[in-house]
Amino acid sequence: MTTTTTAPKPKTDPKPKGDRRWWQRKEPPRRDNNAIIGVSKATPYLFSLPSILLVAGLLGFPVIYGLVQSLYRRPSLGAAPEWVGTENYTDMFSSDAFWHSLNKTGIFVVGSLVLGMALGLFFAFALFRVVGKLRFLRAITIGPYIVSNVAAAVMFRILFNSQFGTLNQAIEWLPWVDSGPRWLADPAVAMVTVIFTQVWTDLPLVILLILGGLMTIDKTHLDAALVDGATGWKRARHVTIPLLAPQILISIVWLSYSTLTGLGVVLALTGGGPLKATQTMAMEMYTVAFRNLEFNQALAIATFILILNALLTLGYVGIGRKYDYEA
Amino acid sequence: MTDTLPQDEFLTESLAEEALKASEGAPREPRRTAGRRGKGIIRNILIAIPLIALVIWTVTPFFVTLSISLKDRAEVFSDPSLIPANPSLDAYAQVLASETFTTSFWNSVIVGVGTTLLTIVLAVPAAYAFARFRFRGRHLLLLFTLLPRLVPSIGVMIPIYRLAVTTQMLDKRITLIIVYTAMLLPLGVWLLVGFFQAIPREIEEAANVDGASLWGRLRYIVGPLAAPAMITVGVLAFREAWNEFTLVLVLVNSPGKRTLPFELYKMQGVEGIADYPIEAAFTVLTIIPFILVYTWVEKYVVAGIISGSGK
Repeated sequence: MTTTTTAPKPKTDPKPKGDRRWWQRKEPPRRDNNAIIGVSKATPYLFSLPSILLVAGLLGFPVIYGLVQSLYRRPSLGAAPEWVGTENYTDMFSSDAFWHSLNKTGIFVVGSLVLGMALGLFFAFALFRVVGKLRFLRAITIGPYIVSNVAAAVMFRILFNSQFGTLNQAIEWLPWVDSGPRWLADPAVAMVTVIFTQVWTDLPLVILLILGGLMTIDKTHLDAALVDGATGWKRARHVTIPLLAPQILISIVWLSYSTLTGLGVVLALTGGGPLKATQTMAMEMYTVAFRNLEFNQALAIATFILILNALLTLGYVGIGRKYDYEA
Repeated sequence: MTDTLPQDEFLTESLAEEALKASEGAPREPRRTAGRRGKGIIRNILIAIPLIALVIWTVTPFFVTLSISLKDRAEVFSDPSLIPANPSLDAYAQVLASETFTTSFWNSVIVGVGTTLLTIVLAVPAAYAFARFRFRGRHLLLLFTLLPRLVPSIGVMIPIYRLAVTTQMLDKRITLIIVYTAMLLPLGVWLLVGFFQAIPREIEEAANVDGASLWGRLRYIVGPLAAPAMITVGVLAFREAWNEFTLVLVLVNSPGKRTLPFELYKMQGVEGIADYPIEAAFTVLTIIPFILVYTWVEKYVVAGIISGSGK
């Protein structure tokens, strides 16, 4: 409730009183006790404990375990881990492979953001025009969401195949083109292929988020803009997009989260290759851990990813606070 | 709007409602103003072009894969057309007859159904407790909702693997079910809390006066009212288990325990010369079961995607 200066006394009075009087001491909010008639006090704990324990055990504990273990190292594969302090981190920061992967992650995240947001806005605006009329369009839009990363990778591998892929056939059909790019084998373009695949799998969510935002925009703003002579692109640029700010920011945060921490598409499509051209940080972590079997060193990379991701999440919470937006 | 479903009322204040309404065909003001009617055809074309682009963008990968799956190995290279000259279902027959597919398919079904059930069984009481009771630890809900964002699966991949090694839980389907449930629980609980809070407390109080026990209220009042949310959570859990790839990759080794995405991934790597029709047919067959589930409960999936993005 918003506190007004008109009558603060009668509103705030019952609470301190309640603390003092004996019959109200134990469970302050009376309203909630109504639902607990005949229910043991232990019930809410029994109800929520299994979930809390499972989540704490499989999401909370592993993070702490990972942090601790990143300070140890095994001198050889079978040996017991030894305390090395921050050596895993200093080694990580001085290794070329790490900076290479950080660089690739940057390209991956920014590339996916640019392509994803451009397409997301474009398609959401297009769908908004016909909203409610063509139901099957919705089903098609969500299509990629139900496909696993591996299946998407196989499909794009076929689409982008340089010998028989439909894309290159279309490109080679053009009279001035000799042969299309080798999408997956050429280090210069492999990242483009990965970005396309990643954006394809993530786009349904961006479209739906922005479309949801478009539906909430008050029509009077748009009509007012129309009266003022703003049409088409001008209206979109100066009225609609600013009003969509929360949804756009949330989409940006979500896309960055998905690309920063995403491993499936890269692993299944290129495996980090060719010549490490698509070796993102997630891929680097996987390689160090499960190919080189240097788990402790890999945990340093994992911690780094977690910190970057935590910063993103803070940004997300900040956006939520700023716009009072919950979704 | 005439056929608005009752559950829509309970999605108040969430973005899901708007999108749902939108897709259900909420009435919108006619967009064409009087002065513009003459440009109708051009306008329609201008509206259609981006929509066609959207369909092409989304459908092409599916279509190309389907096309390849209907060719044979030689035709892949010799017949470049999208619509095969002599389509055959040989690739599908081969995949369906192979043991790798049937085994991994049933593994996926077991893990998928197991994850769905366990998620609902754990999430419903937890969400009810968070929504209805004041108790110590209630503030954990906020942490709950932020955890999946703070801890992506890539961050816990190695620790969970080490944990499974030390507890000898590697290579077991039950491990996958438990891990996927933990991944999905925060979202599931958060979704359900919103629903439970939207159910008027008075209904339960009235039932309580009439002598309904807590179990009775859950069974006959809260449960049916929250059924749409439970379906949404179930679909999300099933999707996660059906499609998850990076964790199953490290938690499972032996061929008998792999799920479909893992087996599909193995297929690309192991076979020297890729057999594209087989790969394509395998891909199509992994997608089809979920499409069946999906068309059945499409509306809930939309709600689920949107709420899933928030957290």
